[in-house]
Amino acid sequence: MTTLQLQNIVKRYKSQVVLDNLSLDVADGETLVLFGPSGAGKTVLLRLVAGVIEPDEGRVIIGGEDMTDVDAEHRGIGMAFQNFALFPHMSAFDNIASPLTATRSSKEAIVAGVGKVAKLLKIDHVLSHHPKALSNGQKQRTALARALVGSPPVLLLDDPLRNVDAKLRFEMRLELPRLLAAQGATVVYVTQDYKEAMALGDRIAVMAKGRIRQIGTPEDIYNAPADIEIARLFGDPTINLLDVTPKAAGAGIDVELSGVKVALPHLPASLAGRSLVIGIRPETLHFVEAGTPGAIPVEVEAETPLNEKTVTLVRVSGGREVLVSRPAGTPGPVAGTAHIAVDGATTFLFDKETGQRVAAAGQSAKTQGAAA
Amino acid sequence: MSQTALSIKAVDKFYGPIDHGVHAVKTLSMDIQKGEIIALLGSSGCGKTSTLRMIAGFEPVSRGTISLGGREVHMLAPVKRNVAMAFEGYSLYPPLTVRENIAFALKASRLPQAEVDKKVAYVAKLLEIEDILGRYPSSISGGQQQRASLGRALIRDADLHLLDEPMGQLEPQLRALLRGRIKHFIKERGLTAILVTHDQTEANALADRIAVMEGGVLQQFDTPQMIKERPANLFTGTFVGEPPMNVFEASVETSESAVSFGLAGGVKLAYAASDFSPAVRTALAGRKNVVLGIRPYAVRRTEDGVPARVAVNQWLGDQTHIATDFAGATLVLVEHDRTRLAAGETVGIRLDPAALHVFDGASGKAISHGQELA
Amino acid sequence: METTSALEKVLRGVALTLVVLFFMFPIVWIFLMSFQTNETILSIPPSVIFTPTLENYQALITGKLQTASGTLDIAFMKNLLNSVFLSVSSVAIALVLGVPAAYAFARHKFRGSEDIAFTLLSFRFAPPLLVLLPLTQYFQWMGLSNTYIGLIWVYQLICLPLILWIVRGYFEDISADVEYAYRIAGHSWFATFRKIALPLAGPGIAAAGLLAFIFAWNNFVFALVLASADKQPVTVGALAFVTASGIQYGQIAAAIVLSITPTLALALYAQRYLVEGLSLGAVKG
Repeated sequence: MTTLQLQNIVKRYKSQVVLDNLSLDVADGETLVLFGPSGAGKTVLLRLVAGVIEPDEGRVIIGGEDMTDVDAEHRGIGMAFQNFALFPHMSAFDNIASPLTATRSSKEAIVAGVGKVAKLLKIDHVLSHHPKALSNGQKQRTALARALVGSPPVLLLDDPLRNVDAKLRFEMRLELPRLLAAQGATVVYVTQDYKEAMALGDRIAVMAKGRIRQIGTPEDIYNAPADIEIARLFGDPTINLLDVTPKAAGAGIDVELSGVKVALPHLPASLAGRSLVIGIRPETLHFVEAGTPGAIPVEVEAETPLNEKTVTLVRVSGGREVLVSRPAGTPGPVAGTAHIAVDGATTFLFDKETGQRVAAAGQSAKTQGAAA
Repeated sequence: MSQTALSIKAVDKFYGPIDHGVHAVKTLSMDIQKGEIIALLGSSGCGKTSTLRMIAGFEPVSRGTISLGGREVHMLAPVKRNVAMAFEGYSLYPPLTVRENIAFALKASRLPQAEVDKKVAYVAKLLEIEDILGRYPSSISGGQQQRASLGRALIRDADLHLLDEPMGQLEPQLRALLRGRIKHFIKERGLTAILVTHDQTEANALADRIAVMEGGVLQQFDTPQMIKERPANLFTGTFVGEPPMNVFEASVETSESAVSFGLAGGVKLAYAASDFSPAVRTALAGRKNVVLGIRPYAVRRTEDGVPARVAVNQWLGDQTHIATDFAGATLVLVEHDRTRLAAGETVGIRLDPAALHVFDGASGKAISHGQELA
Repeated sequence: METTSALEKVLRGVALTLVVLFFMFPIVWIFLMSFQTNETILSIPPSVIFTPTLENYQALITGKLQTASGTLDIAFMKNLLNSVFLSVSSVAIALVLGVPAAYAFARHKFRGSEDIAFTLLSFRFAPPLLVLLPLTQYFQWMGLSNTYIGLIWVYQLICLPLILWIVRGYFEDISADVEYAYRIAGHSWFATFRKIALPLAGPGIAAAGLLAFIFAWNNFVFALVLASADKQPVTVGALAFVTASGIQYGQIAAAIVLSITPTLALALYAQRYLVEGLSLGAVKG
């Protein structure tokens, strides 16, 4: 059983607070993704767990044991770095073997251990090469192999796919879950790519400015973002955000978009009259025939294919821009006037001032502030 | 409309002595129409940047000619070519504010100040940099610098706009919106633009036609749709498209009534002869080894398909990516709904003959796309 | 177009030749002088045509200097050995002390670490004479004047700051992540220093060592004041050629040739490391 607990961690550089009273629990065998913009404190947090940086306050507890004052080499952790951090003067074999030589394993055990993990990561044919002679993808796999070879109970992966090209990144994104599952380790994975976060995380902790803004399953984050910023960070194309002032409509409310009423029956009437922002994910918008009830007239500005989707930039009357996305190959307008329909039930409302999501009845945004 | 804006004829680029130096661009010929957006797409070292620099005039042409609007320009200094460029490294002037940087591009045109201000304000609004116009390049983020640099290129009235990796550093949240706006801006003004990028997503999003380059050779020059549906060879097939095309080495057998492919792991894909045109059947007959390609979104799940084991199921909010163990390799499916399949489950896979790309096993050249001969 | 015209090529060749001549002339001249007698050297006008003689080298090696007023004993070979011994030991000690210190300064920023590092560098700014006066007195009290140990100690003023500052830069250029990776793999900080930091800074350490060696070798004033004839290096020993009956140009030239040979040989041998070392910072990452 190897759980990881961070309790009230504070880290300052000079007068700047990098980690602000941050607490986090990672369950045994769980993959927790730390997601956030650069400067959020993700990497610092990872290094604190690894033991190469010391916290100013707070405790780091690994497998129930307080490791706050234990040196990095005695924590039994595997780590892969964003810039690979390979030893340039050693062969790939020696790089990967480095965690095994530290424990004074026998020569046979080292050869067997390195061979096994190298085969798993498909780099067994380049083990004699020095990092200089490896391709970017091979470097990244070597770095990963080095982190995995000692079968550490806790694995820290610091944006390991950031410096490889899109194709390799995709390939590894599909390969990693299997590797990690086979390892059975407790994993903390840092990334700035929301797709990686959603694909790999059992849970995602969204970080900003040294705090955790929201923590939950990919579903929680995507379908119930705690605030506007988080809603903007997840999803490609980015969520459409439009200012609205809802009106009461029966038990629920409705909002007006370009003169067309959109019903939000799932939200309480108490919201009527407040200054809010409606968030509409581009994939929930659909092009419809003119005359369909609830159809909003739009001008098509540009069509930009995005991988397996087609994204259309349209302008609603009043000049506001909206992105609509649909599966590639399905019909849609390329120019001129068209109509779109909004499904009110899939939208979010946020407070204009605070940016916090206005929770629907019986649904509460799972947030964990610094105080929690 | 069909007026040639840029014509590249048999251009070679050598670094070092001609015929003995590094051959970076090999006998490249391309015609670009007025009002077109063209993407030069390829990985680093493919020759795309050398091509761009030759068009801009920063790099001498070793052999061949480049003409712009009918006049030969490859011997002219960059300033005489009337080409606007956004540089990959931004190259903003540090002592000037963002506003001055953008307006600087209009210096030569001697417009009245009010006109310049109007143009700058318009471009700034388009690129979401209105609030940083008074700042200096050193005090803004990389993404903002890139937008300022784009603004400086787009504001000019040039015969040709060259954009070198124009969006690589953009904030992901702005990317889709700005792609739409910039495409609209270029189209509305009838500008001709060439963008150089290694990112196939960007090329697909913006370009009317994409020139795929590799090893200094133009691999294919066609619309995004055609490149996706009719890739000229295995390289373009796998380079363009995300997730990448699934590929399998296969042996092929043809008879009067059937066409079948043998994959690794004893998997056999059997099709009726009528699934392929006679020309395709003739092309396949007598071949031994081919490479099969199928795009992830074209893979179907059916009850009676070839069984495959789900290895990973990744939901990304608006798409589901499923990787399966199929024929000794990984087969990826993309579905637009949320598919709830757990790892370990078995699904039936059907590869529609209409979606099948067949490539030559040795050269990688396309043989057929669906029914049709390549 | 970047085609160079024929005229341009010629001009470029001429300019390069002039530069090479300007820098190489003194060395070539000294080399030629070392094979001439004092008479041919002093003849006016000077001539490049002469009968070469090995007399100068012979005098140096045997230690017998023939002058107009008789034979003088000189200790040039002894001086040469002194130079080698002093420089090598000084650099060795400076490396042993300076490299770990440089690592500490590079990796562990603590209160005042920057000040201490700067103070060490400032030793290089002070004119040597400033230090020399009090040092001469102290050394006499401590019995260190005219000893190798005393000289090597003083030579640390030259070598240590140089090594400390150059090597610190190399250590700083090594990505901290690379060292972290080795620590996390389970190795102690000392093992990390030995197996990662030292090898990666190797070219830089070699370059710094070489520079320190050259500076130590060329030092004049410390040895002049603090050492007597039997401990003096060649730089000071060469003064012996300024005799009562005139300056022995031939022997001086030969002495110079002999004394620059080791540093020159070393520099040529280590050129690869030196260039690699001095440009390492540019290609990090």
